[in-house]
Amino acid sequence: MNEPRFPKCVKVSSKPSNFCPGCGHSITLKNLGFVLDELKAAPETVFATDIGCSLLAWDYFDIDTVQTHHGRVTALASGLKRALPKSNIIAYMGDGGGYAIGLQYLIGAVRRDDPMMVILVNNTVYAMTGGQMAPTTIKGENTTSSPGGIFADEEPLQGPELLATLCHEDAYIARTTVDNQVQLQNYLKKAFATQKSGHFAFVEVLSYCPTNWKTDAKRTIDFLDHLKQTYRVGVIHGE
Amino acid sequence: MANNLKRILIAGEGGQGVQAIASIIAKVAHGLNKKVVHLPNFGVEQRGGVSLAFIQISDEEIAFPKFQDADIAVILAGRAIPRIQEYLSAKPLIMFDNSIVPEAKLEEYKVEKIAIPATVMAKERLIPRVFNMIILGALAEELGLKSKEVKKETLELFKTKIAKKGELKHFNLAALELGEKTIKKLKNG
Amino acid sequence: MELLTGNEIIVKAAIAAGADAFFGYPITPTTEILTHWSEEAAKNKGLIFLQTEDEIAAGFGVIGAALGGKKSWTATAGVGHLLMQDPIVMAESMRIPFVAYIGQRGGPSTGTVIYSQQELSVARDGGNGEGMRLVLGPSNLQELYDFTILAFDWAWRYSLPVIILGDGYLSKMTGQVEIKKGIRTMPAKPYLQNDRKPINIRNCYSLEEELGQVLHRELKDFSEIRKVVEKSETQSCVDAELVIFAWGSVAGAAKEAVGNLRSEGKKVGLFRPITLKPFSETRAKQAVRTAKTILIVESAQGKFGRLVKEALFGLADIKIEELYKPAEGIMAAEIEARVREILS
Repeated sequence: MNEPRFPKCVKVSSKPSNFCPGCGHSITLKNLGFVLDELKAAPETVFATDIGCSLLAWDYFDIDTVQTHHGRVTALASGLKRALPKSNIIAYMGDGGGYAIGLQYLIGAVRRDDPMMVILVNNTVYAMTGGQMAPTTIKGENTTSSPGGIFADEEPLQGPELLATLCHEDAYIARTTVDNQVQLQNYLKKAFATQKSGHFAFVEVLSYCPTNWKTDAKRTIDFLDHLKQTYRVGVIHGE
Repeated sequence: MANNLKRILIAGEGGQGVQAIASIIAKVAHGLNKKVVHLPNFGVEQRGGVSLAFIQISDEEIAFPKFQDADIAVILAGRAIPRIQEYLSAKPLIMFDNSIVPEAKLEEYKVEKIAIPATVMAKERLIPRVFNMIILGALAEELGLKSKEVKKETLELFKTKIAKKGELKHFNLAALELGEKTIKKLKNG
Repeated sequence: MELLTGNEIIVKAAIAAGADAFFGYPITPTTEILTHWSEEAAKNKGLIFLQTEDEIAAGFGVIGAALGGKKSWTATAGVGHLLMQDPIVMAESMRIPFVAYIGQRGGPSTGTVIYSQQELSVARDGGNGEGMRLVLGPSNLQELYDFTILAFDWAWRYSLPVIILGDGYLSKMTGQVEIKKGIRTMPAKPYLQNDRKPINIRNCYSLEEELGQVLHRELKDFSEIRKVVEKSETQSCVDAELVIFAWGSVAGAAKEAVGNLRSEGKKVGLFRPITLKPFSETRAKQAVRTAKTILIVESAQGKFGRLVKEALFGLADIKIEELYKPAEGIMAAEIEARVREILS
């Protein structure tokens, strides 16, 4: 009988994962695992996580992993890379850690063209704390801090587009989704190659969160399609 | 310099060179193997605002960089006077630039005063900005510091500026000499 | 002997101690530490320098570099010190070496750029945990040099955050110091990407019992380290009727005061902690054995005072006097005047 493929650099204890059923993190992380396996890059990689659901990945991989404070993983990665110039540094975060409390560290890193790979899983809510508004929440959305959609009237933050205005010409900035795993893997591979060649790489991954969206299977998929109306999927800078 | 401990307070406005004067004195004293401490004291403005310098020269270890009992207070700006009241407890000699600090502002201090019209002298005989070196020349003479050492440290401190504008060397040295001469004349009557 | 400013001295000490990475954000009175290091790093490619977006990024950069095997450090003051508590607690939680020089300035808020001793509590306990960090309090420029080197040794020897708690006077003053070279400190080593198995490290736990166990272990370790590193000194306490308690720059003024008072025949002594954390409670109690009164002197409103009172708790017969001047320097003459008043 054929066993489903599972990345070698992911710990056996990570299956089943700590994430909610239907979470985009496990899809993203598994695909990242396949990329690291294929490139034989795991031993020379440091994986750093933020706080939020991303922190649950602290024990996911059998590679050097550090969990840090909310919004600080990019700043940590900038320090790691300077001490370990030959290692691959991956900074993993959500839309809150990346676009709210940690935004200025992303801006610093992209302006410096720090060679790191940033993976930002964007489900447009603060999931771990129970579903509050995020910088990427669509206008009028009902969240626990915008009940009935009130207060949710801010411009959704277009992260890759923002960073693309500040990046080096050889940086790689893209947005993909958890429902297109071929593209997801491709973009992760390109991002990996970019940081390895000495430039900043950023991949935003549009993701589900049925737990906090309070959506059933069909409405979960519909909502992801709805996000794609606001957030353009594709390569924003690079090739 | 015979005396053991000398406490000098210099007070002026930011941009007048209070810290430059202090720095040169500290370097000369250090070169003479004296113990020396110089503490700058000022607020947030890069220019304007009150700037103070506390300098101590001694044969023994200096325990704390600030003092209340200055032996000499050098005043370069009227607006610094209210700020230094608490440091004048030991009735210091007051040296001041009387061409910009009105004598009347210091009337309440019944101490020996030396008035040097440095700003006017600099404007009329040299260039305006070296007024602080006239003061330094006078102060160094009062402290018994050899003018050769003072000149050396002054040129060292300003070497980058002098490299860009050669004539500054002449003006700074002339200012030091003028200050030294002026105070000598004042003291000998 | 060299004539240098405090900030220059700190950079020289760091380099002598083997520091090779600095992350920081400009703030008075410690800005020159950043600028002098940037000059050194411009000349020496073996030194890492990054001016970050804020003090939080500086602290996490320090941690990232330390995890990667660098001897990294930072310097800040005032409100920047508050922001630095975020990364400091990460270092504390994960036993990562972390060195920070703090140049205390007036507070609260943006206060003055000049001086205070108001950041003592923040340095000792400003985190959201049990405050397992070491704090050194230099009182003059030579100690600024010596204790900065010591901090780098302790951080890597004990895997803890170590704070050199100076102030704006020390940072900005020019004075003489002996630049001792060839002092060996505990070397740095990489925690990640070394020849061992990969590690997964975290500081966030799901259950209170998990964290409780970790803390129990760490606190036990910290209590052993405390005993080895705690340092203090006394002056003329053997037969003193009144003992002054002072730390940092104020201890310098207090030393001068004690000298003057003794020459007047007054039986006065000084207890001065060198480590503000851990605080030598035993030695403090010993120092006041013959005293009827203590005078606590600090440029804050009782932060050091509370520490002293906690240390001397149980000594019922001792009278406590206080000379508190938050955010202002305290000179020997003021201390002397107060002592004469008390003893009269």
